Amino acid sequence: MGLEVPLDRLQRWLQAVVVHRGTAEEAVAAPAARAFVPRGRVGEVLLPSATLRPEQRLAIYHGMYLLRMEEALESDYPALKHFLGDEGFRTLVAGYVQAYPSRSYSLNFLGRHVPDYVRLAPGLRRRGFCHDLARLEQAVAEVFDAPEEKPLQAEEIAAVPDEAWERARLVPIAAFRLLAFRYPVNAYLQSVKDEDHAHTPLRRRDAWVVVHRRQYNVWRQDLDRAGHGLLADLVAGKRLGSAVAAALRRGRRPTQAELFRWFRGWMGAGMFRTVETGPAGPARPAGPARPGLKTG
Amino acid sequence: MTTNRWGLPDLGIGVGLRTVHFPHILSRHPAVDWFEVLSENFMDTGGRPLHILDQIVERYPVALHGVSLSIGSTDPLDREYLRKLKTLAARTRARWVSDHLCWTGVLGRNVHDLLPMPYTEEALRHTVARVKVVSEVLERPLVLENPSSYVEFAASTMTEWEFLSRLADDADCGLLLDVNNVYVSSFNHGFDPRDYIAGIPADRVVQYHVAGHTNKGTHIVDTHSDHAIAEVWELYRLAWRRTGPTATLYEWDEDIPSFEVVHAEALKARAHREEPATEAASVRRGA
Repeated sequence: MGLEVPLDRLQRWLQAVVVHRGTAEEAVAAPAARAFVPRGRVGEVLLPSATLRPEQRLAIYHGMYLLRMEEALESDYPALKHFLGDEGFRTLVAGYVQAYPSRSYSLNFLGRHVPDYVRLAPGLRRRGFCHDLARLEQAVAEVFDAPEEKPLQAEEIAAVPDEAWERARLVPIAAFRLLAFRYPVNAYLQSVKDEDHAHTPLRRRDAWVVVHRRQYNVWRQDLDRAGHGLLADLVAGKRLGSAVAAALRRGRRPTQAELFRWFRGWMGAGMFRTVETGPAGPARPAGPARPGLKTG
Repeated sequence: MTTNRWGLPDLGIGVGLRTVHFPHILSRHPAVDWFEVLSENFMDTGGRPLHILDQIVERYPVALHGVSLSIGSTDPLDREYLRKLKTLAARTRARWVSDHLCWTGVLGRNVHDLLPMPYTEEALRHTVARVKVVSEVLERPLVLENPSSYVEFAASTMTEWEFLSRLADDADCGLLLDVNNVYVSSFNHGFDPRDYIAGIPADRVVQYHVAGHTNKGTHIVDTHSDHAIAEVWELYRLAWRRTGPTATLYEWDEDIPSFEVVHAEALKARAHREEPATEAASVRRGA
């Protein structure tokens, strides 16, 4: 008579084998699997086929696991994979899914902790650059899937009385992320997308990017420090008058023409969904306003 | 015409909806009968995929097909998943909702694979109870697909088709008969695929899947990466004789060619739907 294993323990055993980082043989011998099925009794749980031993049959599932995880993460982090190379990315994925295994029904959420993991991943070269690049690619994935919202319309802007603008607050659409980097990763990401892969030097240089969606297309737009500062104040919930005043107090003062050009561009790009002219509410935190989402 | 017990329609010959084909579908409106939509791809997006799906369902009938229900898992059912699935089904006016006889993870983890069940009385009781809950939540009979598998459990006391038949009867669910999966598993486990086809309750089959696979020599992997081989089409013909007109869907998920190629492959089903079955012996017994 074979080894009797209740369904829940059988599933825990098989999962422990499938997700083990080593080979299938090592997986079967690992404590996580042996807690349910002793290594020497695998043949009492699984049947051989005409051509494969039970352990070899298990290896089919074990081998497909990492490939599937890598494929899912590559769809969100193509530039990070390009930078690390196939082997480097595979190593990153193998460590990542141990640290942050999928706990969702959807692979869309698998990559949401990649930037966090990149900060700590052992042996990673150019860690700061990789972290910035992962943050940018994560933002792109989140914006791609964020809920669709109607952007602020010209008539809504025109309806705001002149005297109300000083106290007005601009609310960004859900498909909006504002980011500050220590490396010019937006240029790198673009160079990966371009055919010739003419990468910019990876030297440290502060950079600012807004990622947003318009008519279902995701856009990445470089900003300068002053523009980023103003936009950051606005999305944090500062009143327009205060935000502009703060921008004029900071290092490089934008000219009035620049301010007009920025606002025209941001409004035209549909980055805001509404303008609030009522009493002050609690300030909104800067940064992602929605849980991480991924390309479907 | 329809032959299943719920009167669910024979939608004709469809193709699995894949993102690489979106531009072609939207611009050319190909004369495909229906699309099967991968549920999880549209449950958590408010972006372009959902926008495109909304346009497609205006023009074509669809059915939802999932990979994460994990009906056989010993973890609790994911109620949030079910809620979103029901919402998507309503939004797309899905003719039915299917998933697989499998489990995808335990202990809160998801390995995103269609892991095999042991075919035991314990597993049957467990799965029947969960199918009933899901059907109640979705307010429609759940449709379950036979999976491809690469291992067999020594504890199994019945064949896969016996398990599926009893499950379908006890839980009152529909079946999605994937004839490629029948072939793949018959090769991997050494049973006669004709026995499988003969053992399925025909009046519970509401849909077929046909697909290609990859033969590794020692085993076959269900890759959906190629044309279907003649033996798989022959199984389809045999099954068709038992079920009569039933919605049929071609799946192509790796190395996906142009829409025209996938659709042409799907339309090969026509010949097998219209011609009488040949000798069943032409289907090779699994290795």
